[in-house]
Amino acid sequence: MVMVPATTGLMGILPGHVSTIAELKPGVMSVHEGNDVTKYFVSSGFAFIHANSITDVVAVEAVPLDQIDQSLVQKGLAEFTAKLGSASTDLEKAEAQIGVDVHSALNAALTG
Amino acid sequence: MSATTGAVWRTAGMTYIGYSRLCASIVRSCLKEPYKSEAAEVEKVHYSRSKWTDGKQPKPTICEDDK
Repeated sequence: MVMVPATTGLMGILPGHVSTIAELKPGVMSVHEGNDVTKYFVSSGFAFIHANSITDVVAVEAVPLDQIDQSLVQKGLAEFTAKLGSASTDLEKAEAQIGVDVHSALNAALTG
Repeated sequence: MSATTGAVWRTAGMTYIGYSRLCASIVRSCLKEPYKSEAAEVEKVHYSRSKWTDGKQPKPTICEDDK
């Protein structure tokens, strides 16, 4: 089974899943093989679920969780939270909001 | 695309490419070494753009952002 962070919520994909396309949000993708679970953080992307029990996951960045530096996540979260407070234009606000969202997701991935 | 996640950056004029690049850049900035330096190698991108006019593609211009 593969769990992907779809924009609509966590989505579990088992063999024989109905074909669909899911947009991914920044979050943890976990690959379950028997009792083994491998977790990756994906920055964004798409999951293409085919009718023949094949799923393609496309992401700009996909990194194993142990490569993420918790202190940098905390620092970044504080930085972007401050930026969100001082942002004046819609674009600045959106960029700051993305920063807060991605760092929060990274933080949740490491602590959760 | 769900209205709640798509709306904020989309209504601010960002493209999906811009959104996904920013997300990826933030993830790269939070990596431990040596992964961070390795990932930084792919950070540099540029766009080649030309606006279709009179049924022809003019000489493209190179720009650093996707605006």
